[in-house]
Amino acid sequence: MSDSKKVPIFCYQCVAGPDLMKVEVKDGVAVRLASNYDIKNEHPGGGRVCVKAYGLIQKTYNPNRIQQPMKRTNPKKGRHEDPRFVPISWDEALDIVSAKLREIRAKGLIDASGYPKVAVSTGGGGTPVQYMGTFPAFMAAWGPIDQGYGAGQGIKCYHSEHLYGELWHRAFIVSPDTPYVNYVINCGANIEASSGVVGIWREADARVRGAKRVQVEPHLSITGALSAEWVPIKPKTDAAFLFGLIHRIIHERNWQEVCDVPYLKERSNSPYLVGPNGWFLRDAATKKPLIFDARDQTAKPHDAVIGDAALTGTYSIAGIEMGPDGEIIEHAAALAKPSFQLLLDHVKGYTPEWAAGECDVPAAIIRKVADEYLAHACIGQTIDIEGMTLPFRPVAVMLGKSVNNGWGGYHTCWARTMLAVLVGALEVPGGTLGTTVKLVRPAASRTGSVQPGPDGFMTYQFNPTTKADWASKPDIRNAFKTLVPLSSNSPWSPALGPAHLPWLFQKEQPANWPLQTNPEIWFCYRTNPAISSWNAPEVAERLAEFPFIVAFAYTDDETNHFADVLLPDATDLESLQLIRIGSTKFIQQFWKHEGWAIRQPVIDNAVDCMDLTDVSTELAKRTGILEEYNEAINHGAAGMGLRKKSFDYSIDPTIRHSREEIWEAVAKAASHELSEGKAVHGLDWFKEHGYMLGTFSQLDWYLYPSMVRQNLRFELPYQERVVRHGRELAHRLHESGIQWWNEQLKEYEFMPTYQPFPEIWLEHVREHGGDPDLYPFWALTARSMQYSWGANVGIPLISEVADNISGHRGVIINRSAAKRLGIAEGDAVAIESVTGITYGNAVLREGIRPDTLVMIGQFDHWKTPFAKDLNMPSLNSVSALSLSLTDSTGSGSDIVRVKLYKAAKVAA
Amino acid sequence: MSDTEKTLRWGMVVDLNRCVGCQTCTIACKHSNDTVPGVQWRRVLDIETGTFPDVERVFMVTGCQHCAEPPCVPVCPTGATQQRADGLVTMNYDVCIGCAYCAVSCPYQARTIVHDERWYYGVETKQEKAVAHPERLGVAQKCTFCVEKVDEAKERGLTPGVDLDVTPACSASCIAQAITFGDFNNAASNVSQLVANNKSFQMHAELGTDPQIKYLYEAPATPGRDIGVDENDDERMADLSNPLVGKLQTFWDWRAAMNWCFGGMAGGLIFAAYAASTVGLIEPARLTKFYLLGAGLMSIGLLCVFLKIGRQQRFWRAFSRPNTSWMSRELYIVVVLFGALGAELIWPHPVIETLIAFAAIGFVYCQAQILHAAKGIPAWRAPLIPAMILASGLVEGVGAIALLTGFAAVKPSLMIVGAGLILTIVNAALFHTYRSMAKQDGIPPLARRALDDLAPIIHSTGHILPALLFFVALIAPVDPAILLPIAGISVLIGGFWWKFAIVTQVSFQQGFALPSAPQRGSGKRAAPARMGGMPAHV
Repeated sequence: MSDSKKVPIFCYQCVAGPDLMKVEVKDGVAVRLASNYDIKNEHPGGGRVCVKAYGLIQKTYNPNRIQQPMKRTNPKKGRHEDPRFVPISWDEALDIVSAKLREIRAKGLIDASGYPKVAVSTGGGGTPVQYMGTFPAFMAAWGPIDQGYGAGQGIKCYHSEHLYGELWHRAFIVSPDTPYVNYVINCGANIEASSGVVGIWREADARVRGAKRVQVEPHLSITGALSAEWVPIKPKTDAAFLFGLIHRIIHERNWQEVCDVPYLKERSNSPYLVGPNGWFLRDAATKKPLIFDARDQTAKPHDAVIGDAALTGTYSIAGIEMGPDGEIIEHAAALAKPSFQLLLDHVKGYTPEWAAGECDVPAAIIRKVADEYLAHACIGQTIDIEGMTLPFRPVAVMLGKSVNNGWGGYHTCWARTMLAVLVGALEVPGGTLGTTVKLVRPAASRTGSVQPGPDGFMTYQFNPTTKADWASKPDIRNAFKTLVPLSSNSPWSPALGPAHLPWLFQKEQPANWPLQTNPEIWFCYRTNPAISSWNAPEVAERLAEFPFIVAFAYTDDETNHFADVLLPDATDLESLQLIRIGSTKFIQQFWKHEGWAIRQPVIDNAVDCMDLTDVSTELAKRTGILEEYNEAINHGAAGMGLRKKSFDYSIDPTIRHSREEIWEAVAKAASHELSEGKAVHGLDWFKEHGYMLGTFSQLDWYLYPSMVRQNLRFELPYQERVVRHGRELAHRLHESGIQWWNEQLKEYEFMPTYQPFPEIWLEHVREHGGDPDLYPFWALTARSMQYSWGANVGIPLISEVADNISGHRGVIINRSAAKRLGIAEGDAVAIESVTGITYGNAVLREGIRPDTLVMIGQFDHWKTPFAKDLNMPSLNSVSALSLSLTDSTGSGSDIVRVKLYKAAKVAA
Repeated sequence: MSDTEKTLRWGMVVDLNRCVGCQTCTIACKHSNDTVPGVQWRRVLDIETGTFPDVERVFMVTGCQHCAEPPCVPVCPTGATQQRADGLVTMNYDVCIGCAYCAVSCPYQARTIVHDERWYYGVETKQEKAVAHPERLGVAQKCTFCVEKVDEAKERGLTPGVDLDVTPACSASCIAQAITFGDFNNAASNVSQLVANNKSFQMHAELGTDPQIKYLYEAPATPGRDIGVDENDDERMADLSNPLVGKLQTFWDWRAAMNWCFGGMAGGLIFAAYAASTVGLIEPARLTKFYLLGAGLMSIGLLCVFLKIGRQQRFWRAFSRPNTSWMSRELYIVVVLFGALGAELIWPHPVIETLIAFAAIGFVYCQAQILHAAKGIPAWRAPLIPAMILASGLVEGVGAIALLTGFAAVKPSLMIVGAGLILTIVNAALFHTYRSMAKQDGIPPLARRALDDLAPIIHSTGHILPALLFFVALIAPVDPAILLPIAGISVLIGGFWWKFAIVTQVSFQQGFALPSAPQRGSGKRAAPARMGGMPAHV
């Protein structure tokens, strides 16, 4: 008789998770995997898991796994140096690591430059947290740790959206309200590849319903394929397209008819008067921004009862302007204009014809898209949600990764959000929504984070820029507090700083800046910066300079090639963890439920690995911080506080606990809180049932009710607060003699002025002595649903099915462009930039601009078993780590100017 | 069997407007059915149509269509492939001999045969060991519509397509709800409702297979369009990177081709020898030797085929389906022929000799029909193929006789010359007509290109040269004993060559078709503008 069971666990390989599944185990062997249909009615993606989840069994039984702890015996590090790893016991491995840690503790946690001696990097999107057990508790117990070394996250993300989105509407991630939206303008967001099960599920419903999406992007991605219309725009000119739309709406159409005027007047800063120096004109006594009331022809503080807020015109008003560093400019009679009037002035020149010249989209299409957007906006309509009547504005604008990070990111994010504001579609049913908060507090409640701040806007914790409080000495190597006021200071902020700068500064010490030091010990988990960074080959060289690397390792890879100790990772099916599910999360995970789900060992460990919770406990004990570690768990470092007013499931801080004991306590606390004490469940219950849910109000999908309740306004269109911080930052940096951030400082504008952004990348070619004409292609990347985030490039099953989708076998090039170069399907080609080269096979398609190349995903492996034989090119091998390509938020973009030519063969 | 079961018709509706090409169905199927590397019972194609800047990209789910008129079922010589009353086309791995006839008969490229064990990492993992299916080695395999789940549903009183645990894995796992499974015979079922309320098409409907996967491409709120022939021009349909384009089949290789090459010649030779003996060109006493030579040649062909099949020990199962399969029929005729030949050796008799002759020509006829019934290969199912195989067998028979005149085994005769000339011309005309009708008969561009490449050598070797030689022999005073053998060799080479090529080089698979698609994409492909907005959605 064979013994067979189905074990419930979650999949959180990508930021679009979690999704739940069951693994069929037969005689102790995991044999098959399928969605957990038990949750089909509550999970907004019908309870399904996506293609990536099905790779997990093969991941577990991969014969290339690191079989036991290893230590390096070759002291020399380099890509071409054999690390000469030799097997050691767990005891020895943990001794080596903890000895190093104890040594650091003894001498001090901070080095001479003020940087933490310990650094930790984890993979993209915070997903490793869903797998790393209580390692966060170890980190919390340890003290200062540099988490600002980017491995792709923080720099190759939706960066401007994260920062500006969170400031404007608590939108670390922006999503259309897909269940209701009817018209979406999508500039390059490849959501059909990246928004996970829920996104795909809901988008498919929307398509069948008749919702129309216009996809604006240089190559016909999966998402473009599924859009009603594809508009092949010139790379990195999306801001021009969006500005053209705004011009069409407020200049060519009668904005008073087609815009949501009450929304503009009451929910935005459109009526705020702006003084001649560009700052809000304020009431001298209360310092509140003024609005001109057209009804009684007087200016009143923004929160006064206003009969008819003027949106246009110029008014002579007494008041003050508040500039940077406490500067007060007094006016007896300033000529002030409402910010909406300034918006009108600002976009006057951005006509569709002008935009067409910049972005290569015909003016007629720009006008048509704007008009269709307006036609679908349903201004004046309402919808009942759970008994509350809310505005119904089923239109949205989405931005892709390379559109909204790096130069131009601020411009596109601003324009996108303004398009929503103009028709009252921001944070209302059907419109443009945020899904999650990572920078503001409380982290567990997006609507709860809607709290009054200055000037009638939501509060936002900028990193200080005043002389007194500015962080003149960075406390981690990417200096997010010092350089990027908008990155705030939450646990996520280090990852959202300029996370590529540490690699760059390690190579070139910037002027008037603390000496760049390397961490004395660097932990890496589920991350591969030697592949996933810009200029990955150069990052690999930097890694070789790190003195001591501890890698939680699955197989050999390009990063742990430089490691000193390899600790075999207990993978997805071997370890234990409880996580929160539901509410609103990341890409499109809007639930009507929230709760907890479990990932549990499905089989006995396939190799000699150890659960990260046990590793953390052991390290804490051997390092002498067990008590702090246990207390961190009690305080919630494992995702749930164990000691609250109504319950106490805390663990004894003085003794070592097994992973089961720790998660048992978490299970009880979590279920207690969720059920308000009515259904307290232990670990065994979760192991059997897989998950536990409570309800989550749909009203919490939208900020609008909270904004109205507190009479708050979205901080648009005018960016007074951001610019004040920018000006102050300029003062601080210049006082410190720092001139290398000057270009970034220019980006602080009240309303963004269009720049010919592609020119920045052409200039970069010239900087390196190249002639842009000799690098005639724009190289871009696109997400692969089969591979993205999954760290699954070494899994042949994934490779097999991914191959059914075009672009997984090489570089995508326009068929005619290829023919002109004499390149045929499958030909080996080289793709070369001024900073790097990569090789692959030509994939000829019609759905790509003739001036564009696309390399899907992140490949070019040279160590990872199986992946190294895929011969896939990678944008990361030709992109640059460069200050001149870094914007004011500290991000660059996945775009490179390259040439392409036939190569003798695909280089291994 | 109950009445309900009789009225069931399981099928799928695939909504092209929903499918995102994510391959979740592909991989869920692989999990659920334990398929080995490279085998995908369910697959999603990534299809691009048009030319920049007017482009459209569509994802299309493919696999066994569980046709109502499955071309794979009647051809199967063993009965391993059957159609159930509820419409499922099933595979019995324990009966299949791996002849691949079903595979070349399927116009949907749904079948695979794996001859050797293969593992994803090159070495067998614990999981692969636990889910290994040795019974599938060397036999045909394909999508079963997860028949075990469908049957489990019956036992548990559940409804496949509604209850996810008993729904085919691809449909249940689909994250876009693009694949719906249900009973087409029930007008109220999910699938029936979908096709009743939306426009749909069946792939390769013109082949009469009545496939039970129906593709939706237009919902009331989303426009669809028919794809013009110009969008799939010869250039696009000759591009092997285009997933619509059928690849060269590899199920039947040179070993299979040998059966047509040797078998056709042998059948022709036996029949021609019989005919020659009746007109006195061969002494009756020597006829048996000709028969033995023919049988020997036929045996070489049959041996080659035997070496090709996946499960040789159970080759005898190929006798199981004489009622429908030309392959079974061919074997019965082989039995009759060899049996009669055995009898002839013991007890020569004109009746037996006649029987052998007609069995031989029957054998060639079976071969003609075997190829013609393989619906998956347009070059084979073309209407002229049976006549061509038959005519080739006959001319090769005459050619062999002509050759043997050189060994004094046959008397040179104008009758041979005349028959040779007529049959050569007939073969030339058939081949020429076949080629000129190729496009009209649905033979794809790559196969036509292969035919075009082939034509000069076939026509010159198999038709022009022998026809000239026969003609000269007819009118000129040259010793036919010199001309006839040369003409005979030429005929034999031509016949051998074209059949070998038709089996191994012209045999491109049907490929896939996308006759209609949701309207979306760029430029002219884009969905029409919609300025009126949409009514409030609640």
